[in-house]
Amino acid sequence: MHDVLIIGSGLGGLECGALLAQRGLRVLVLEGSNQPGGCMQSFRRGGLHYDTGLHYVGGLAPGQAMHKAFAQLGLMDLPWQRMDEDFDHVIIGGRHFAFHQGYEAFVEGLAKDFPHQREALQSFVQRLQNITAEDMDVCAYDYLCQTFSDELLLNVVSAAAMKTELRRESLPLFNFAHTCSSYIESSWRLRGDGNLLVNKLIDTIKQAGGEVQTNSRVVRLTEDDGRITKAICADGTTYEAGYFISDIHPAVLCQLLEECPSVRKAFRRRMTSGENTCGMFTAQLCIKPDALRYFGHNVFVYDKPNVWTMTEENDPVKGVMISARVPEDGSEALRQIDLLTPMPWHECQPWTETKVGHRGEDYKDFCRRKAEQCITLAEQYIPDLRSMIETCYTSTPLTYRDYLGSPEGGAFGMRKDCRASMLSFHSVNTPLPNLLLTGQSVILPGIEGVTMTAFETCNKIIQDNAR
Amino acid sequence: MTREEIIAEINAELAEEFEIDEAAITPDAPIYQTLELDSLSLVDLIGIVQTKYGVLISKTELPNIKTFAQLYDYIEQHQK
Repeated sequence: MHDVLIIGSGLGGLECGALLAQRGLRVLVLEGSNQPGGCMQSFRRGGLHYDTGLHYVGGLAPGQAMHKAFAQLGLMDLPWQRMDEDFDHVIIGGRHFAFHQGYEAFVEGLAKDFPHQREALQSFVQRLQNITAEDMDVCAYDYLCQTFSDELLLNVVSAAAMKTELRRESLPLFNFAHTCSSYIESSWRLRGDGNLLVNKLIDTIKQAGGEVQTNSRVVRLTEDDGRITKAICADGTTYEAGYFISDIHPAVLCQLLEECPSVRKAFRRRMTSGENTCGMFTAQLCIKPDALRYFGHNVFVYDKPNVWTMTEENDPVKGVMISARVPEDGSEALRQIDLLTPMPWHECQPWTETKVGHRGEDYKDFCRRKAEQCITLAEQYIPDLRSMIETCYTSTPLTYRDYLGSPEGGAFGMRKDCRASMLSFHSVNTPLPNLLLTGQSVILPGIEGVTMTAFETCNKIIQDNAR
Repeated sequence: MTREEIIAEINAELAEEFEIDEAAITPDAPIYQTLELDSLSLVDLIGIVQTKYGVLISKTELPNIKTFAQLYDYIEQHQK
């Protein structure tokens, strides 16, 4: 009998496991696949590690948003490397802009290019620092239109938010602001792959007496007297616990709850009918040795100032994020670059019935073509990039779906909608008092959002136990 | 949609979704007790009304809807 059983070993599941194990609770994390970590996991090809979802983290300097949380989780012990002072570069229609770390420097940097918008920029960063839950009801795009009279600047300040799903009609300011603010405070890359983070959390769990099991897919939860009592795995193994935390997509969780009478149809419907965010296409490039110097900033390249509409129809590719990997051996030349671009689910339609490694030649052609388009855009920043490439690995939302169990390969969980915030932002609570939610579908996506949610989930259990 | 049609449809829907006897839903019955709503399932009620009628019950209006009759009124007044 465990105190807490966690279904899914994504960042949220492992963070909950570490936080609760540190509190002396007996924790068991069950991962359905053969590798823990969810979006944080990395894979090895040709002697190099490639990440799936980890690119950069914001707010890790002392006193900033994520520092305290990561310190508590033991993650500040990892080799974080502060990015360049100009941490994000934006190229739109051939013009080059830079975001600088620190709110004042951010304003000053952009005010050089947009002197007539200085006050608007100051108002923008003030707002970023004063975001409240009420901003879940505010439309980010409308707010930006009201704040910036210069349409190009509106596109520039939104350009690095490719790490969330930009939708004009629905994205809440709450999400947009969280996507921007911690990175402006300070931006960091890990010298090493995402498995460092995953393994650190697993070590914390194990050192506190907890367990993390892979190849343990939970297929059913059983209820007795209004509480979840058991998790049953695909191989028939049954685990009992006092609390259960779901770090899987809420719609997938509902499949496990089919025999639970306390979960009424209305709740199931809300959890299963919510829309998913778009996925991402990634081209992971292995660069020839000594061909390209490492650069400690990201670059967001857009063909035109259409940052807020490109996701709707991104074929051919209209915008790409370039993320360089910190050379692990300390050398000045880099070996790996990721190129990312949003990829809506409808582009995956021809292959939705296929599985990894068996999608056919037309899928390979599609990925090659899309990678070529990403490389062409990236060459606006790295001339002749194509000639430097040794190998290119690609992934699509189908990859996310099949490896991570994310419906429609959504990169940022379930979509949040400022027009219906009550329906799209979820509570960590469920109709069963000992079953809680965590992960990026609940409140906010991304590393910061998932970590904030993990603390919220764990606080419920800690407060319950204190009573 | 007439008020009568709204009443017939929403009553059937709420009985099905909240798994209660439809006979318990009467105009003056208290919504919270009848549907056994808590803060979590209240969101489910808002979701049903929005999905069915495109009517979003705002946070400020929510406290004014205490009976089924008041819910019918709200849907009738706000339906598109």
